[in-house]
Amino acid sequence: MKGFDGKLVGSVHPITRDECKMVHDAAIRVLEQGGVRCDDERAAKMFEDAGCTLENNRELVKIPEKAVMDALAKCPGSFTLHGRNDPTKDCSIGTGEVHFCTVTGRYIDDIRTGERRKVTRQDAIDGTLMADALENVHGLYKPVMWLFDEEMICNSQILTTEWMKHTNKPGTWVYNTGAEHEVSDLIKMWQIAVGGEEEMRQKPHMLGHVVVNPPRVIDVHYTDWLIGFCDSGTPLSIESALMGGATGPATRAGMLVQCMVEIYSLVVQSQSYKPGHPLAFCSFNPAMDMRTGLWATGTPEYGINGGGIAAMAKYHNIPVVGFGMSDSCEFDQQTAHEKALKNYNYALAGLSWIIDLGGTAGFNLVSWPEMVLENEMVAYIGEYLKGIQIDEERLSVDTILKVGPLPGSYMKEKHTRKWFREEFFMPELNNKEFFESWQRGHVELQEKAKQKALSILDNHQSPVAAEIQQELDSYLDFCMQRDLG
Amino acid sequence: MSIEINEEYFEKLALTVIDGEDEECVKLVNEGLDAGVDPLDAVEKGLARGIDKVGEDFGAGIIFLPELAMAADVMKQGTTILDERIKASGEKRASHGKVVIGTIKGDIHDIGKSVVAAVMQANGYDVVDIGIDIDVDAFIDALKEHDADVLGMSTLLTLPLMEMEKVIIRLKEIGMRDDIKVIVGGCPVTQEFADEIGADAVGFDAQDAVFKLDGLMGVNRSRATAQA
Ligand code: B12
Repeated sequence: MKGFDGKLVGSVHPITRDECKMVHDAAIRVLEQGGVRCDDERAAKMFEDAGCTLENNRELVKIPEKAVMDALAKCPGSFTLHGRNDPTKDCSIGTGEVHFCTVTGRYIDDIRTGERRKVTRQDAIDGTLMADALENVHGLYKPVMWLFDEEMICNSQILTTEWMKHTNKPGTWVYNTGAEHEVSDLIKMWQIAVGGEEEMRQKPHMLGHVVVNPPRVIDVHYTDWLIGFCDSGTPLSIESALMGGATGPATRAGMLVQCMVEIYSLVVQSQSYKPGHPLAFCSFNPAMDMRTGLWATGTPEYGINGGGIAAMAKYHNIPVVGFGMSDSCEFDQQTAHEKALKNYNYALAGLSWIIDLGGTAGFNLVSWPEMVLENEMVAYIGEYLKGIQIDEERLSVDTILKVGPLPGSYMKEKHTRKWFREEFFMPELNNKEFFESWQRGHVELQEKAKQKALSILDNHQSPVAAEIQQELDSYLDFCMQRDLG
Repeated sequence: MSIEINEEYFEKLALTVIDGEDEECVKLVNEGLDAGVDPLDAVEKGLARGIDKVGEDFGAGIIFLPELAMAADVMKQGTTILDERIKASGEKRASHGKVVIGTIKGDIHDIGKSVVAAVMQANGYDVVDIGIDIDVDAFIDALKEHDADVLGMSTLLTLPLMEMEKVIIRLKEIGMRDDIKVIVGGCPVTQEFADEIGADAVGFDAQDAVFKLDGLMGVNRSRATAQA
C-alpha cells in the first residue's frame, strides 16, 4: 500500500483553472481527431445538425471545438428537481446546494431475519418508505435493482409504480431492462405522479441518466432514453461509464480527459436535439481493481475523478452530480470510511446530487438500517458544510467579556441557551456516552439503527394522494395486460 | 546469421511473455524457426514457462491484471505462429483446451468477459474472445471455425439471459453438444440457472472460472496458478 508522507496539500478541486483548460484542450483533440462512434442514424443526424463531420458510413463522428462550445453555451447553469406535488422537497441543482440520494442493489440484508437474499417487490415499497421518512435523504434512485419475485418483462413498470406510490421526493433514473415499452411507460408513470404531461414539463421531478459506452460509443438504447427525457422535459445527467485501466486510460488525468470527451459528446448530442435542455455532468468512474477487475467504486481515484469532473463543470458553469458508494461487501468500517470520505469530498467539490445512501458493493447490496446510519452521516456532512457563520451576535464578544476569566461558566448564560441548538450538532444515534457508562451497558449502534428502521417500516405512511396511487395502479394494469395478457 | 537454439534462447522467449514484449516475441519465434527450433519445444520450454511464471506472480499478488492480460496476449501471438508449424508436422501441442468466449446478444458489457478470457489464457487455455452482443449463429460459427472444446458465455443483464439457453439448444440440434463443454458467468447467472439451461458449469469470478474449467477438462494443478 502506498503511504501518506504527511507532505500533501489539500484543495477543494483537484485541478486548477489552468489545468481545466489543459484537460479541455486534450478532450477536444480527441474529439476532433478520433471522434466517437455512434450506432444509429438518429444520433448521427443530431451530431450532423450540430456541425460535426460524419465518416465511415456515418458511424464515426468527429466533433469540432466550436460544436462543443456552442452546445455548452446553450445549457442552463442550474435547474430544479421538484418534489412531486410538494415544493418542500425541491432540490436545486447547480446553485451550490448539495443533496443526497439513495442507491440501489440486487440483494438485501433482511432487517427481520438477518438473511442476505434477493430483493423483491415488498423491498421496493419498504426502501421507498425508508427514503421518504429519513430527513437527510433528499432523493431516490430505484430502491432496489429488480423485483426478483415479478415477471422481468414488466419489472421496471412495477418497480416504478411502487416507487411513485410511496414518496414525493424527486428521483434519478438509469435505464433498466431495455424492455420494449420501458421508455414510454416510465415517462407516462412519472407524468401520472404529478398530474400530467404539462405538469411534469413545468416541474420535472426525475433526473434522467444518459451514459456513453466506453471507450467512445454513443449507445442506441441511451439515445432512446435521451429522446424520451428531452421530449418529456426531464433534465439529463450525462456520464461516461469508463473504468480506468480497462475501458479508460490508467492515469487520473487520462481518465478525466476521456470522461470529458464522452461527456462533451453527449452535451453536443442533447443540445442539438433540444437546445437549452438542462443537464448536469455526472461522476461515475472508478479505476479497475488491478487484482480482481472489480468496478471499484470505493476507491480514492473514483472520488478524485469526481472532483475533477466538478472542476470541469465549474469551469463551464454546468451543474454536476455523481454516484458515490463503497466496495465493501458488508456494512462495516470500510463502507463507513469510503463513503464518508468520498461524500464529504463530493460535497465540498460542489456536487448537487450525490447518489449513495443505503447500499454498497457497486449496486449489489442494500440495507435499511444502513440507510438510517448514512442518514446520520449526511447530517455530519451538512454540519461541516455549514462552516462557521460570522455575525455580531455569534462573535459573542459581550458574553465572552461577561463570563471570563475563571471562575465563570457559559452554561447558565442566556446566550448559550439561545444558540447551542442551532450551532452545535446533536447526532441521533451515534454514541456520545461517557466511557464508563457505555461499559456498564449500551445498545450497539447497528441495533439502534435497526430499531429506527423497523419503527419507520411499521409506522411511516405514504404521502402520495390516493387518486394518484389508483391511477398509477391502473396504468400498471394496462401494461401488464398488454405485455403478459 | 541464424541464432543458436539453447537454454538461453528458451529463457529469452519466456521473458518476452513475462515482460509483455509482443514484437520481441514474434521476432524471436521467427528467428528460432529459421534456426530450426522444434516448435513444440518453443512453446513448452519457452512460452509456456513464461506464462507459468506470470500465473505464479499474479497469484502471489506481485503482478496485476494488465500485466497478466498482456502476457496472455504475447503468448497467444507466439503460439499462433508456432501452431501452424506444429499442425503441419502432424504433432499436437499440449493445451488444456480451446475456449471460445463472448458476451451474449443484447448485452454490451465487455470487461468481465475480457478479464475471464485473459485469466483462462494465462492458465494454459487457448482462448478466442469473439466480443460482445454475440448471437446464436455467431457463437456456433466461431466454435466450428476454431474447433473449440469449450464455450464460454457471459452476461451481466437479466433480460437476455435466455439467449444462453438458445445457444445450448442449437448445439444440441446440430449434434455438437456432447463435444463442447459450456461454462457461463456474469452477475445474474446462478448455479440454479446454469443447471436449468443445461450448462456444464458457472464461474462466479475469473479464479472460479479457471477452477471450474479445470474440473470440466480434467486438469489437475499441483499448485494454484494465475488466480484473480
Ligand atoms: C461498466 C458497466 C456498464 C458499462 C459497460 C461498459 C463496457 N464497455 O463494458 C455500460 C455503461 C455500457 C453499461 C450499460 C448497461 N448496464 Co451496466 N454495469 C456496469 C458496471 C458498473 C460494471 C461492470 C463491470 O465491468 N464490472 C467489472 C467486471 C470485471 O466484473 P463482471 O463483469 O461482474 O465479471 C466478473 C464475473 O461476473 C465473472 N464473469 C463475467 N462473465 C463471465 C463469463 C464466464 C464464462 C465466466 C465463467 C465468468 C464470468 O467473472 C468476471 C471477473 O471476475 C455494473 C455494476 C457492477 N458493479 O458490476 C453495471 C451493471 C452490470 N449494468 C447493469 C445494467 C442494468 C446496465 C444497463 C441495462 C443500463 C444501466 N442501468 O446502466 C446497460 C445495458 C447495456 C447493454 N445492452 O448491455 C446492471 C445489471 C443488473 C443485473 N443484471 O441484475 C449492473 C449490475 C448495475 C446497474 N444497475 O447499472 N454498464
